[in-house]
Amino acid sequence: MATTLVDPFTIEIIKNSLVAIGDEMFYALQRTSKSTIIYETLDYGVAITDADGRLVAQGNGVPLFIGTLDAAVNAVRDKFGVSGQLRPGDIVVTNDPYGGGGTHLSDVSLIMPIYHEGELVAFVGNKAHWTELGGKDPGSWTTDSTEVYQEGLQFPNVKLFNQGEPDEALLDLIAANVRLPDMTLGDLWAGVAALRVGERRFLDLCDKYTRDTVLVAIDSLLDYGEEMARQELGRLPKGTFEAEDMIDDDGIGNGPFPVRVRVTISDEEFVADFTGSHPQVPGPINNTRTGLASGVRAVFKAVTNPAIPANGGAFRPVRAICPDGTVFTAQRPAPVSTYWETMLYATDLIWKALAPHVPERLPAGHMLSVCGTVLAGPNPDTGELFLLVEPLVGGWGAGHDKDGENGQFCVGDGETYNIPIEITETRYGVIVDQYAFHTEDGGAGEFRGGKGVVLDYRAVGDGTYLTGTFGRHKYKPWGMNGGHEGSPNFIKVIRRDGSEEGPFGKVARLRLEKGDVARLVTATGGGYGDPRRRPRGRVLADIRDGYINVEQANRDYGVDVDATTVAPGIVQEPST
Amino acid sequence: MHLELPSKVRPTFSVLSYHPREPARGYHVVKRYRLGRDSCLRVASDVGGTFTDLVYYDERSGRFGAAKADTTPPDFEHGVLDTIHKAKLDPSSIEYFAHGSTVVINALTERKGVKTGLVTTRGFRDVLEIARGNRPDLFNFYFTKPKPFVPRHLRAEVSERIDFKGNTLVPLNLGELVPIVEAFRAEGVEAIAVCFLHSYANPGHEQQAAQEIKRIWPDVAVVASYEITREWREYERTNTTVLSAYIHPIANSYLTSLEQELRAEGTRGQLYIMQSNGGVATMETAKHNPITMVESGPVSGVLGAIALGQLIGEPNIIALDIGGTTAKCSLVDRLQPRVTTEYRIEWSRTNPGYPITTPVIDIVEIGNGGGSIAWIDSAGSLHVGPQSAGAVPGPAAYGRGGTEPTTTDANLITGRIDPEYFLGGEISPDMDNVRKAFGSLAARLDSQIDDVARGVIRIANANMVNALKLVSLNRGHDPREFTLVAFGGGGSMHAAALAAELNIPRVIVPVNPAVFSAWGMLLTDLRRGYIRTRVTRLDSAAPDDVAAPFAELEDAATREFAADGIDGDRLVLQRFADMRYKGQEHTVKVILPTGTIDAHALSDGVDRFHQAHEREYTYRLSSPIELVNYHLVGFGLVPKPELAKLERTGRQAEAAMRGRRSVDFDTYGVHTSAIYERGLLEPGMDIAGPAIVEEPAATIVLLPMQHATVDEYGNLHIELQ
Repeated sequence: MATTLVDPFTIEIIKNSLVAIGDEMFYALQRTSKSTIIYETLDYGVAITDADGRLVAQGNGVPLFIGTLDAAVNAVRDKFGVSGQLRPGDIVVTNDPYGGGGTHLSDVSLIMPIYHEGELVAFVGNKAHWTELGGKDPGSWTTDSTEVYQEGLQFPNVKLFNQGEPDEALLDLIAANVRLPDMTLGDLWAGVAALRVGERRFLDLCDKYTRDTVLVAIDSLLDYGEEMARQELGRLPKGTFEAEDMIDDDGIGNGPFPVRVRVTISDEEFVADFTGSHPQVPGPINNTRTGLASGVRAVFKAVTNPAIPANGGAFRPVRAICPDGTVFTAQRPAPVSTYWETMLYATDLIWKALAPHVPERLPAGHMLSVCGTVLAGPNPDTGELFLLVEPLVGGWGAGHDKDGENGQFCVGDGETYNIPIEITETRYGVIVDQYAFHTEDGGAGEFRGGKGVVLDYRAVGDGTYLTGTFGRHKYKPWGMNGGHEGSPNFIKVIRRDGSEEGPFGKVARLRLEKGDVARLVTATGGGYGDPRRRPRGRVLADIRDGYINVEQANRDYGVDVDATTVAPGIVQEPST
Repeated sequence: MHLELPSKVRPTFSVLSYHPREPARGYHVVKRYRLGRDSCLRVASDVGGTFTDLVYYDERSGRFGAAKADTTPPDFEHGVLDTIHKAKLDPSSIEYFAHGSTVVINALTERKGVKTGLVTTRGFRDVLEIARGNRPDLFNFYFTKPKPFVPRHLRAEVSERIDFKGNTLVPLNLGELVPIVEAFRAEGVEAIAVCFLHSYANPGHEQQAAQEIKRIWPDVAVVASYEITREWREYERTNTTVLSAYIHPIANSYLTSLEQELRAEGTRGQLYIMQSNGGVATMETAKHNPITMVESGPVSGVLGAIALGQLIGEPNIIALDIGGTTAKCSLVDRLQPRVTTEYRIEWSRTNPGYPITTPVIDIVEIGNGGGSIAWIDSAGSLHVGPQSAGAVPGPAAYGRGGTEPTTTDANLITGRIDPEYFLGGEISPDMDNVRKAFGSLAARLDSQIDDVARGVIRIANANMVNALKLVSLNRGHDPREFTLVAFGGGGSMHAAALAAELNIPRVIVPVNPAVFSAWGMLLTDLRRGYIRTRVTRLDSAAPDDVAAPFAELEDAATREFAADGIDGDRLVLQRFADMRYKGQEHTVKVILPTGTIDAHALSDGVDRFHQAHEREYTYRLSSPIELVNYHLVGFGLVPKPELAKLERTGRQAEAAMRGRRSVDFDTYGVHTSAIYERGLLEPGMDIAGPAIVEEPAATIVLLPMQHATVDEYGNLHIELQ
């Protein structure tokens, strides 16, 4: 590496330019995608690594892609780079869950090497949730698969482009194996567009500041990330912290599964050891090693300084330990299509272990689950298959000085946007009857857990199928310091004749007929502190706002309110 | 103060002696016949958080003039009238009056709007609070989302439902509105927002509900979403409607009073309101939809910076406007401002902010101005802003009851502002009050008054540096390739230090910087945008299918501009089409040629889309193409004044020097600094820092390693030595 002396100001500019390149790639992918899960939900990430595969910058999307893209780049380097098989303009596609930065098959990574004047200088990559990738169920991920072969098309780290030219055979193969080829190939092209924008901008940067200067700046950026992370590490409490929890079930009748962590923090290292967690399970909730690394990285950033640049340097002190073959580190051919639910448990376990010691950065437990659903069926106007794939917002836990946030996506999502109801109803065969906070019991505290929501989808035509995976259905969000635990996530079906089915934590391909309602309800977050310490005025205000009801005020908060003396709210409570 | 221009008495502004370009054909004839021979004044007025500015151009004499008065909340129109009186203008001579105001944005950011209620579709009152659920601060597990502008108990639901095709699924139950409106009244609500699902497709229920609310309670302000935007996405539309309602009574009564007072004084000319999109709208349009004024003041400053850049050949500009309440910046790349329809107030990398779906020139604004109050938080840290002392009571120095220390007060303590020349010598600063205000801060920080004053300026500068980074570095622009144009009452005070921090090579302080935004408004064309969403598949469309919607829009534009007396060569219509590949959501905007739309024009438009898509995103598809939005922008061209070059006598800068005094330049040391009178400067003069250049409404600070030259129009160029 050149030892050019680069002034700090130039480094600052290059650093910000790299972040801006990430933003631009991110934007390009969003603007050109044909899937709502990409252009509205933003379920994707973009990254730049250096030639050695070290993460330099990652574009906003979802935080739990934070361990995946550099791993994917390294898999590409191992397979093609070492043997000298990479060329300018090559693009490699991979979604291998068990190695190479994969999570589940739906998250597809595209990786492109960047050459400046013939020298490999960097990689750009993106990983996006492609809505349809074949497999046994529409939308590809499901809650009752038993091996990965049921979960979609596998891309075992293969070249999609050779020196700028697409492999038409591979494109045809993809088109033939997915249910919505136009949408899937649209997502593919969106990813390619983002890579090319990134390549162009990175080369501009090299031309402008010289390649050596850019590389020096990247080195210094990584060192800066590490230095900042180490300083923050120094401020964390030292010692060993433990937590355990239970995962509800695996979707096909097994469970619950105990999981545990032992976090050891020293001046040098942040080690999360998941030894002792349950072995991999028959249903598709299994997480993989890449997902585990991401889950640990995300919470490490949360307890240190969220503003530290998310680069490889910042993660040098972080280590995850776990034997192979656990529910966190499943091996082929274990089904993994809802891996994220268990990845989030890895994050949540560390969170739960550290929250009492870092209360200014970690509130009580939140709904945790992505609460992902797939609605699939014929569009009532066109008869074409529609696919609605989306996460759902819910309640966050209360903190030591504030109520929990109402209606936010779980921490596994990030710059993730809910799909507007007006778009949902236009594109998919459903009517939304309500999208509102509920007053299920749970989350009481001196500081109250944030509110979960109830979302009702009413089927417009016959033969609409619902698949959903709502974790923390049996084991609810945890409270802190005397605060109550939150309410559960659940799914219910109300048939047109008024009969009810559920509540469920997980469903697969539940058939809805015209007029049936799928009711999705997310958790209220855990409370913080004894609810009886909550000032009466705030309890009365909560009643007026309809965040809690009179019964809860009396029972949980010990505030004696006569239902008849409370001015009726402007609207009724939503039904759950 | 009255800033008659040009004037031997006020040499400061002699540089503003412009000569008009040849007026456009027919223009004056039309106007003068209608308005009489005396109607000859073009006036631009800009209400800021602290000061109200006026710039005028007299078509008979070809002269510019300016005046400045205190902003007068809550009756802002008084400040406007004050400037007219100060300038000794005859209101009946005003033929064109353009007005911009920060009234709307200030009410929003300072949460000084009215108590607002929301009426929405049953089942959806929490859309406003859930928002989009996004968390830009990805790794912050202690995230706090923005609070909605309407609390839950003031969000009411009624039975009604329309589907995405505009069909009624559930009729509107008007009877439910009576108890809701009564409850709102009992709660002290002053404005009601109405937003129903799918009202962009069929606004019928919103129209009925708004009428019924008006019937039940005629005095309340009602804003329905269809009046503001016809775009889908219910959260964005609801929030836009709520923010509109929140500021509606304030903006409306303000505009109504302004109009009444101007008419009462005899003004018969056209009244126009500056819009966030960079054009002006008629008073009537603006009153109906005041949220479109949200960035009206700052936008005109950006337009002024572009006009200045054109004049002196600086295509890459960062416009910096520091007023009494806020600092605003915007980046101009090759003379083009960035217009966004994804405008959000209070948005940042960590805050989702609040969307307002109206086209806006992209401006970053922070709560740091001359009147920003310095304060200490519970942990003992010093902050500056966003609360402002405004014009009333104003900074401690005003001696009008203000007891809080402000940035302006800090600039007085450090000697950057001359106490003898405070606000052009119009008032004498109450230095005892200033020291008292800083004394209490110093005591709490266990520090000295001078140190605290330096700290306040340093923190204010750091805040502004971050805002400048947001528009430049964070969007991949290198500030070293830009020129900072600094204006507003405080721009020139801070610009030199900010440029030094960001390595911006040159700062330009325009002539009369304190009223630069108003000057920009005189250079603004009338602008109207027309958008119709009508999804057209271009592979199966006939040329007439595409020509017809444009013809409708062009008819509407021609009609509306004709009512303003604009036609012929003065009306410029520009066609745009928002296009996409079928299956995509987002579109690419393509300029379409004027003239007949035939098969050839259509295939030309398709080619343009392919090219634009490939240029922006590197690839093209063989998918069918959809034209989603027919977009027409109409410009009514106004004659624009041209600046005259100044004479030079060959005098040296010493001739403009008024004296020396001790000035604290913070990290650059305390120096005995030369003080110059800007009005005595002339082209070719060169001033070495450290120095202070004073003019009645602004102070220019030059750091020790900088120097400044005066260009042929009188603008000051500050550069590193």
